[in-house]
Amino acid sequence: MFKENIKLRLTATFLICFLFFLQLNAQRWDVPADKKSKNSYIKFDGNTAKEGEAIFTKNCKSCHGDLGKSNGIKTMNPAPPDLSQALTQELTDGELFYILNTGRNAMPSFKNTLSEEERWKAISFIRSFNNKYVQVLSKTDPTKSKLVKINCVFDSLSNKLKLNIIANEKTGVIPLKDAEVSLFVTRYFGKLQIEKTIRTNADGIAIFNFPKDLPGDKTGNVDVAIKVSDELYGEIESVNKFNIGIPTDKLGLTQNRAIWNILKKAPWWIIITYTSIVLTVGAFLLYIIFSLLKIRKLGEN
Amino acid sequence: MLDQSKFDKITSDLLKPIRINHSFMVWMGFLGVSLIVCLYAYSVQLDKGMVVTGLRDYVSWGMYISNFVFFVATSLIGMLISAVLGLSGEKWASPLARIAEIIALAFAAVAGLVIISDMGRPERLINVFLYGRIQSPILWDVTVVTFYVLISALFLYVPLIPDLKICYDKMNQLPAYKRNIYKVLSLNWIGSPEQIKIIKQSTRILAILIIPVALAIHTVTSWLFASTTRVGWDSSIFGPYFVTGAFVSGSAAVIIAMFFYRNNFKLQDYITEKHFDKMGKLLVLVSLIYLYFTLNEYMVPGYKMKKFDAMHIHALFTGTHALLFWSVQIFGLVLPIVLLLFKKMRKPLPMLVVALFVICGAWLKRYIIVIPTQEHPFLPIQNVPMNFKIYTPSLTESLISLAPIILVLIIITILSKVVPIIPVHETIEHLEETK
Ligand code: HEC
Repeated sequence: MFKENIKLRLTATFLICFLFFLQLNAQRWDVPADKKSKNSYIKFDGNTAKEGEAIFTKNCKSCHGDLGKSNGIKTMNPAPPDLSQALTQELTDGELFYILNTGRNAMPSFKNTLSEEERWKAISFIRSFNNKYVQVLSKTDPTKSKLVKINCVFDSLSNKLKLNIIANEKTGVIPLKDAEVSLFVTRYFGKLQIEKTIRTNADGIAIFNFPKDLPGDKTGNVDVAIKVSDELYGEIESVNKFNIGIPTDKLGLTQNRAIWNILKKAPWWIIITYTSIVLTVGAFLLYIIFSLLKIRKLGEN
Repeated sequence: MLDQSKFDKITSDLLKPIRINHSFMVWMGFLGVSLIVCLYAYSVQLDKGMVVTGLRDYVSWGMYISNFVFFVATSLIGMLISAVLGLSGEKWASPLARIAEIIALAFAAVAGLVIISDMGRPERLINVFLYGRIQSPILWDVTVVTFYVLISALFLYVPLIPDLKICYDKMNQLPAYKRNIYKVLSLNWIGSPEQIKIIKQSTRILAILIIPVALAIHTVTSWLFASTTRVGWDSSIFGPYFVTGAFVSGSAAVIIAMFFYRNNFKLQDYITEKHFDKMGKLLVLVSLIYLYFTLNEYMVPGYKMKKFDAMHIHALFTGTHALLFWSVQIFGLVLPIVLLLFKKMRKPLPMLVVALFVICGAWLKRYIIVIPTQEHPFLPIQNVPMNFKIYTPSLTESLISLAPIILVLIIITILSKVVPIIPVHETIEHLEETK
């Protein structure tokens, strides 16, 4: 009886530990091997950490808090960890980069809000809290991205945007094969992605269907941002104006008379009400003053 | 036929307090020294900036603004007693009219200064006039406060003209230059029928004019809050809620003043127990109306308990502000109503005590309206020092808030030492009419 009881307890304890372990494991990140081994082409030093700190303060601190102080938001589930913790520092640079790119749960993806350079600098800042860290630099040459050229043609009949991405190497023109391409239109507050991210074919070509109902500026111009990400050539971004939107000319919020506008553009009803009240009360006051003067005059005789 | 000696007695009784005596000097000395201490605190604030107060990013309206609301509120009583009661023919209130007007003028005039104490850069006040937008309730408030001060001053002055003449005639022991001030201010008053007619008409115009302006001043003050979407301020009954609350604190202020004038100036024959009895009933009436509005203000959101309303109401009812909240409601509102229902309590001394409770409650009530909701903004507060989350007024701030109260006492004291606080001319007239 007694022995059995112990067995039962032991099994239960093991089971609980196992579940706990699973649970912990579930919280770690499952990063594909090729992404895991990715490294930064920027050398991490005091300067990059400093720039990274500014990026961190602006984009990450509101959730993660200050590094080393464990003062992130506690009410989220899972809670954003203090990134100076050992568990995070054990991750490779590639894994951190992947986490920043994809996000998970409440952790947002920063792929489209921060440039690759900014993302690496943020990581540089996170690494500056780990004195055991030794950086492995990436072999990619950042200057290589300068060789890349993006040609785009818009076909107004089919409403398709065709991109041809090539690199002008000394040895000749090489199409960028299998490079990630994303298309965005700039708007107030960030960018709007058009379709999904796709990859170029063997000829370096990627084709996007452009929506027909996208509002443009007065003349229908739209700023289109093309973002290319290639293993060898790194990240390339180019912004072009295309006349492919619907011309829109809406009055700005401050163009008409409104409560929130400047004094000169106050609504008529307020101007009329306010001034008539002020004038009426003022007139009565003047009348009283006038009466007082009359009293004085009457007393003189 | 009333004999001349009776008139003479009234005149000398009512003019007697107009002299500088020992207790006046002591009282003014006390006020003066206290004011200097508070002004020193203000100089510290000017030097170091608003960081010397408890105000931070989230609670940016603190004691100063609640003080301002209290001042505007208390000043409204002039309109209720002198105008509303006067116009409706409540003769019992006429000896109290001037007291009410003096209180109104003092509080309204100082209210403008209170706002300046909330400015880190007071010299920028001029920008309100240069760049003010008439779409903003702030500008409306500046406008109505200015008008109210002007009208209150005239409303005090116009009925005073005959009395100023009496002062000039009777107080021949005064130095010549002082008597001359009375002479100039009494505008050649001879009491001719035309003059009397003009005074009557002007007083009437002012009495009517002051009613909408007084309502406007406190309604606009309430709109400074109600025109935002903040929980606890975003209410459609804030205007009447503030106005009725104003009558409560104003009535209490008048009762306190009545008590001291009656005792110190030996005016027992003029401010009688009957006046206290009537003022007690008036206080009960306005407090009941205020209680009704208070009930609406908390009951309606409290029944629905919408997410953000609930946070605010829990903080008041059971949370960090509960002690203050319930003390104010019970000792500043409910108990006074119950006590004053008994005739025995409507005697001078008990009423003084009740009125003191009511007026302290009224001040704290403004504190409860202004501050707690700012500790629960719609967006969560993150990663800020503790003193950003919970507002605690600093000592400097408290001293600066005390300064306007001292200033009001100084103004009231001085005014009641230069003019008869019970209208002499009207009292005599009243006697003649009723003989
Ligand atoms: C909206 C809140 C939020 C913001 C903003 C945010 N994070 Fe996170 N972050 C989280 C949460 C929540 C997690 C945990 C997610 C999980 O485990 O599923 C997390 C996890 C992480 C991790 C993984 C840590 C680990 O050991 O598991 C890293 C690295 C990270 N964030 C970096 C950043 C950086 C760098 C930024 C700014 C560029 C940032 N985060 C901005 C909420 C946020």
